[in-house]
Amino acid sequence: MSARTAGRARPLRALFRKELQVLFGSPVAYMTLTFVGLVTALLFFDHLRVYNQVLFVYTSNAMRGFEAGTIPDHVNLRDQVFVPLMETLAITLIGIVPLVTMRVFAEERSRGTDELLLTSRLSPNDIVFAKFTATYLFVAVLLAVSFVYPATSVVRAGLGLEHLGAVYLGLLAVAVGIASIGLACSAFTGSQLIAAISAYAIAFVMYDFGWASPFVGPDLGEVLARLSFHARFSTFSEGLVVPADAIYFLGVAAVCIAITRGSLDFVRVR
Amino acid sequence: MTQAATETNPAQGAAVLAEGLSRRFGEHQALDSLSLSIEPGESFGLLGANGAGKTTFIRLVTGYLLPTAGTVTVDGFSPVTQADEVHARLGFAAETARLYPELRVEGFLRFAGEIRGLGGDALDAAVARALERFELASASRRIVGHLSKGYQQRVSLAQAFLHEPPLLIVDEPTSGLDPLHQEVVRDVLREARGGQTVILCTHDLDEARRLTERVAVLHRGRLVALGATADVLDGADLERLFHPAPGEERAEVS
Repeated sequence: MSARTAGRARPLRALFRKELQVLFGSPVAYMTLTFVGLVTALLFFDHLRVYNQVLFVYTSNAMRGFEAGTIPDHVNLRDQVFVPLMETLAITLIGIVPLVTMRVFAEERSRGTDELLLTSRLSPNDIVFAKFTATYLFVAVLLAVSFVYPATSVVRAGLGLEHLGAVYLGLLAVAVGIASIGLACSAFTGSQLIAAISAYAIAFVMYDFGWASPFVGPDLGEVLARLSFHARFSTFSEGLVVPADAIYFLGVAAVCIAITRGSLDFVRVR
Repeated sequence: MTQAATETNPAQGAAVLAEGLSRRFGEHQALDSLSLSIEPGESFGLLGANGAGKTTFIRLVTGYLLPTAGTVTVDGFSPVTQADEVHARLGFAAETARLYPELRVEGFLRFAGEIRGLGGDALDAAVARALERFELASASRRIVGHLSKGYQQRVSLAQAFLHEPPLLIVDEPTSGLDPLHQEVVRDVLREARGGQTVILCTHDLDEARRLTERVAVLHRGRLVALGATADVLDGADLERLFHPAPGEERAEVS
């Protein structure tokens, strides 16, 4: 490591550590972590309740028209509980992640501490890197909180660890995508409210472009549908890791990082 | 002083050199063709009423803003193209304290030291020195956001002095401080004389007289007076710049 690189590492580490300290030290962090835990539990038990009711109907003596003990293939823990739980959790992330990202850059700007950072040994690239990686780490912890109930599906439903891993990789990709959008929105304003609302709006639109099909025709509609978070996540939720889908989410993150980096230059010339 | 800060640019002369420096915000000309030179080790005052262009000039020196015309250098380095070299030489305390209210005083100072490249024993020593110098030792474990405005102002000043930069820029350093701590800050600024270049932004003429050797007076973004502090303050009708009569436009200094 060159002296210059070594010289840059310390400020970068300090900012990364400070970001984690602020993220994990804020009440919003613990509210979101608690919320994710609660929502996952509620969704899990709700899907489980419905599954049990369906199972009861199929297995009860009242089903006299069917052969005793016959249960359709799709009535299983994987399709009735695990997959819908993960799909709903992905949508829930849109509601939660912007609450975490809204303050990251906007608060620096409203407090004037961006000036402190931008006149230190940190380069704008360092600032963007430290803030994005710290936020990604936080959303990873956020997902870890939701892990316990889906994990029981692995034990009870015979779902493979590979499937669970693929779904969580997909959820992480969605969370990183939403976090990146939220951070880019936060970088253009000093208002956390505006940052959160704009992140919600963009994330909801990006999550499913299916609404656009009637307006743009079937061909373009198909293309837009392939650009949706939901379409890309659905392959993960099926237990498949398709490199193109992972690259798509990395691409969203890269575009947002570039936009955020540009916003720091915009501050200097505005 | 950091290692990078001890390296000098062969082209170095003035600590800060501005040539035709201008900055426009939309239709508003915040700074208009400012040219001045601040020598190494000099205590330099930047005077002017609110909106005169002092903060814009400082932000151009620190590289926080880019000029629309002209150039500025710090020890021969450009804040635009050699920001890392400039920031290695710079300590800056804004008029409104730029702090993280959720951190403790010592934690904030450690963070401020680390983002200026300090670490290990040097960081420990710098933080201890800053706490003592600005009489913050008793508050070192307190949360910054729970401190009074005066304490916060001292924490902000302490972070600027922490790495003993060759160039110190302090904007209204004594505003919000009680008389006792105003004197503490003035003592620190007096100690810096000779060893460090100090740019003091103020509209307190008495403070400028006590702490600076030369001053520049800005008015509506233009340099209207430059020279030895006593000459400028005694020879010009500065009162008309700072306190115009009702209905009167702020006057030019002769």
